[in-house]
Amino acid sequence: MSIAHARPPLVRSEDRLVAGVCSGLARHLGLRTDVVRWAMVFATLLGGAGIVFYGWLWIMVPTAAEAARRGARRPASSIAPAVSEPAGQARTTAPPAFPGAPERPLRLGGHGREILLGTVLLLGALAVGTGLLGLTVPLGVVVPVAAILGGAALAWLQLDESRRTQLVRGAGAGRWVGWLRLGAGLALVVAGVTLAISGSQWNVLGLALLASLAVLAGVALVLLPWGLKFWRDFGAERAARVREAERAEIAAHLHDSVLQTLALIQRRAGSEADVTRLARAQERELREWLYRDERRSGGAFADRLKALAAEVEDAHGHAVDVVCVGDASLLEGQREQRERIEALLQAAREAMLNAVRHAGGPVSVYAEASRDAIDVFVKDRGPGFELDAVPEDRLGVRESIVGRMRRHGGEATIVSGPDGTEVRLRLAGIGTEES
Amino acid sequence: MSEPVSVVIVDDHTIFRSGLKADLDERVRVVGEAGTVEEAVAVIEQVEPQVVLLDVHLPGGLGGGGREVLTRSTALLPRVRFLALSVSDAAEDVVSVIRAGARGYVTKTASGPEITEAVLRVAEGDAVFSPRLAGFVLDAFGTAAVSDVADDELDRLSARELEVMRLIARGYSYKEVAKELFISVKTVETHVSAVLRKLQLTNRHELSRWAADRRIW
Repeated sequence: MSIAHARPPLVRSEDRLVAGVCSGLARHLGLRTDVVRWAMVFATLLGGAGIVFYGWLWIMVPTAAEAARRGARRPASSIAPAVSEPAGQARTTAPPAFPGAPERPLRLGGHGREILLGTVLLLGALAVGTGLLGLTVPLGVVVPVAAILGGAALAWLQLDESRRTQLVRGAGAGRWVGWLRLGAGLALVVAGVTLAISGSQWNVLGLALLASLAVLAGVALVLLPWGLKFWRDFGAERAARVREAERAEIAAHLHDSVLQTLALIQRRAGSEADVTRLARAQERELREWLYRDERRSGGAFADRLKALAAEVEDAHGHAVDVVCVGDASLLEGQREQRERIEALLQAAREAMLNAVRHAGGPVSVYAEASRDAIDVFVKDRGPGFELDAVPEDRLGVRESIVGRMRRHGGEATIVSGPDGTEVRLRLAGIGTEES
Repeated sequence: MSEPVSVVIVDDHTIFRSGLKADLDERVRVVGEAGTVEEAVAVIEQVEPQVVLLDVHLPGGLGGGGREVLTRSTALLPRVRFLALSVSDAAEDVVSVIRAGARGYVTKTASGPEITEAVLRVAEGDAVFSPRLAGFVLDAFGTAAVSDVADDELDRLSARELEVMRLIARGYSYKEVAKELFISVKTVETHVSAVLRKLQLTNRHELSRWAADRRIW
């Protein structure tokens, strides 16, 4: 109700009697709200110009909330969602001949009832006003026009609704409501047109309605194959585009990684260690890319272990084969749990480092995550060593493997012999996900 | 074992075939080579080798690769043994050739002596499990220890079989497994063959679901 000094954008106001058009307009023009309202009523009495203008503004002008939402998301669309006035009109003036008009789906936000009430009041006022002025509008004109407007509004509402659901990506659930709405709108329009043409002869209505429905069904039948073909072509084209995109991605990947590595290998052909390291790293990367599982959530224990092994492999140019059975999540569970798993990973990393440093031949890593424990085994085929023979100042084994595991409530066993060394790590009391 | 084992190498990469041939030692004699499914089926039928080194991914045929060679050579299966050889670590590749009848699986990165060893083992009628394949088996059958499992029960591994699989997954050779478990190498081989049989025969639905679900290990 306040008088604005600057010129605010034209939006429908929340402070309203019917749809907030008048107060919104008043705010926009800098006039008093009641002045605008009375002007609107007066214009309505002049041959209904006011109501047409009102309806037009109602359709085209968004509410303040909508405008804000659009401004935040995307450029405003000229068709405002609330195309509800004619629908309301149809409901209130339509005789019981159209009981099928769906009343439920018309819920617009939370304001459906208020809008309805407003429309009823407005129409009542209109009827009284025209009655007072001595104009009698024949029912035969009002009913068909109302039906056509109502039907069109229903269909339009559907369009807008579908756009809105597309925006929210609400799939499937409300689709039958949409179809129902479309069907009801169509029926209303057909009935209205029929009525208008047949000159409001109610007895003809049924037959004519049937005939129009038959015509519509025929048209649908004729157009159906064409529509289906169009739809299929569209689908095929989309699939082709997806394939093309996939191919491009593969090509890009091969170029970025594989070709580069091959070039690098040719240049370093002299150094066997470098070539092996490059080839191995590339192999691992390609494998990861080819066989990766998108559904697997990140941060899983197995992935972390493999990443650590890859790191060790890259740093020392020595193959580390990882086999994992089961998996444990690093994202769930308590912080303390995650810290324990992290400690296990670090101990495993240390064991792998030891293995590649001191042993020749392949290093095998096996991890098994079961319901209540995680075991990690790191085996190499080096000459082996005595734990007690390791000097005190060598922190590697004693501190970062055995000590770390013990501190986090795990166990570490080192078995060493002439055939190689195996570091066995075990962390019990871990809740893991089933594999 | 004076007579060398006759082998047919099936792989679509000639470079790899010749490299492999050079790597295999004198206990193995390569009697034929093939590069496609059709060639493989024809060569195998013609020379009837003791062992076929079979690449999982092969062109030709109906697109079934190594598995197709296996299914089309079923009649020869008891006499000719197949050892799958692949760069692929994908579970569905590995498990599908095993289920089609291969007696083992080694990766192409394995060294010449390792492959020779595997060929000899397969020729003897034993199964060859790489750590990765053992990992697949453990993943598919579950790692929970089951007490008394009857031998003919296909859906489960016995406690001993589990132990053997676990050690193989940890990188132990058969000899080391035998030493660790205080059993003979022959017994280890028996256990591994039993696991192979279970893997081939079980129609445990978890296995197929597992194979479909996982593509990495």
